[in-house]
This record gives sequence, structure tokens and C-alpha cells, in this order.
Amino acid sequence: MRHHQILRYTLIGLLFIIQLLFLLAIFRENMQSPWIAVFIIALSILILLSYIRAPIHHDKHLYDHIWVAAGVPIGALICYYLHTQLHLGTVLSAGIVGTAASFLPAINKNSNYLSQIPAAIYCGAFVGMSSGGIANGFSFILAASICTAVLLIVSKSLFSGIGGKLGTLAFLGVSLTYLLIFLIK
Amino acid sequence: MDMLILIFVGIAGSLLSYYTNVSLRQGPIRASAMLTMIVAGFLYLFPNLLSPYLTKNIPYVFIGASFIGMVSSHQLSSHLGIGLAGLIFTFIFLHTSRFFDGFGGALGTSACVSILAVMSIPFLKTNRKVTIGFLQLRRLVFRKKRRRKIRRV
Repeated sequence: MRHHQILRYTLIGLLFIIQLLFLLAIFRENMQSPWIAVFIIALSILILLSYIRAPIHHDKHLYDHIWVAAGVPIGALICYYLHTQLHLGTVLSAGIVGTAASFLPAINKNSNYLSQIPAAIYCGAFVGMSSGGIANGFSFILAASICTAVLLIVSKSLFSGIGGKLGTLAFLGVSLTYLLIFLIK
Repeated sequence: MDMLILIFVGIAGSLLSYYTNVSLRQGPIRASAMLTMIVAGFLYLFPNLLSPYLTKNIPYVFIGASFIGMVSSHQLSSHLGIGLAGLIFTFIFLHTSRFFDGFGGALGTSACVSILAVMSIPFLKTNRKVTIGFLQLRRLVFRKKRRRKIRRV
């Protein structure tokens, strides 16, 4: 029970830190404009307020099934292939992967597994949207998508019903993988 | 002018996606992905229809705004809130840091930040609740005083 709580708060902390770092980068680059600086500070305070008071997390900590999370690398590799090899553009590639995934539950409407897999595949598509400058090949995308899949498994009860959750997880997965590779090199 | 068009795309993208998700009951994934595929596919097929700046940025603004529309109606059900989140998202997108350029999921993070900012607004009204509480307390005290006066009379 205690391990679940530690994991839960660590993940919430990580997600908050990555969002704050994202805003901090905007703040740093736009310091000459006071309005943007004020806007970013206000946003940071508002998201902190939401983290503390809004009912964005389930009380019970749940885990996604590992086979559901297996959809993340599949979505990531297909999306990366579509935009780097077929030059369809990152957004169109993610749109195609997400649309195709959204029709998978129609194969068997009673299947609980098929009803959960579209979110994992679409989450993977966001990882696959990474540009060539960040992701230097399929191996990086595979590593980042496995990292994102782990985050998806442990974050089932966090950010329930919040748009952008999958994107934030993908961003955290890509950033952690990039940081790890940078430190190893 | 280009900025205004992107703001319009941000607001319209979030509202359209929310409508497809909740009112048309297509689910969050299809609502976001299918609309994005239509918009990005149209601009991919007709790249010279708009200026190069808009052709490049409209798909990014639209997909990011469509993530806002993926929100559950239990969490955010106001169309005004969804539109406001779309506006905040476009503003973040227009000033986004070059440091995170090319990182997958950056648009989703911006969308999530926008939604969380909008969702925190009701909690800013706590002072008002305190004031209402204070007023109720005052009424209670005054009522007691009035009752005492009536009894004396």
C-alpha cells in the first residue's frame, strides 16, 4: 500500500515538474515581454491550484494492463515511419494512427482489451511525432515509447478524463529518454 | 491577421472536438484524431491554398486544441471553459519555447496546462464563499437580536 502511495506521489510530482519546466522555458525566452512573463506566472499558479484542489485524480491507485500499454510502441513506430519515411507530416501521421486505432474496438465490441487499446496507440503516436533532431532513429522512438508505456501503466488513476494527459505522458517519456541518452553519452 | 486566424483555429478546434466527443458520442480518441486527420489532410493536399505560415501552423494548433476537446464532460462541461482553454493553448503555442522544439507530446502538455488553468478558476472564487458564509453568520446574529427585541416588545 505504501509503495503505491510513493509511486503515485512521485508520478504526480514528475508530471507537475515537467509542466512547470515547459512553462519556465517559455518564461525564460520571453523575459523581455512583461505581459507574457505575467501570463506564465499566472498559469503556473493556476495549475498548482488545480493540482492541489481539483478532483483530477482517483483516490484508489490503479494500474493499466501491460498488454494495453504494448499499444504505445506500436503507435509510436507507425507514426514515426509515416512522417519520416512517407513524409506525411507529423500531425497527419498522428491523425491517421489515432483514427485507425479508434476503430479497433469495432472488431469486438465486448472486448475490454480492444476498448482500451486506442488510447495507448494514440499516446504512442505522440511519441512518434518527435522530430528527427530529437529522435535519431527508430531505436530512440522504441526506447521513448517503452518509457511512456511504463508511465501509462502506473498513471491509470491520475488525470482521469483530462485532455492532454496522453500528450503529457508522451512528453515526459521523450524528455526522460533524451536526458538518459544525453547523460550516458 | 495570421495570429487571429490561429486563435480562431484554437478555439474552434477545441469546441469541435468536444462536440464530436461528447454530443456526437464518438469518444475522445476518434474526436481528436479524425478531425485532425481531416484538417491536416486538407492542408497536405492543398498546400498553396493559404500562406506558408498558416499551412505550417494550422495543423499543429488544431491537433493541440483537439486534445482540449478530449476532456471528459464530468471534468469540464462548460463550452465557455473549453473555448477559453483553446485560447490559452493558442497563446502558449504562439510563444512556445524553442528549447522543446521537436519533442513529441509538447502540444499535449500545452493542452493539459490550459485545461488545468481553466479548471482552477472555480477554486479562485473561495473568497466569495467565505463572504457568503460571513453574510449568513451576520444574518443569524441579527435574527437572534431581532427575536430578542420582539420578545421584549
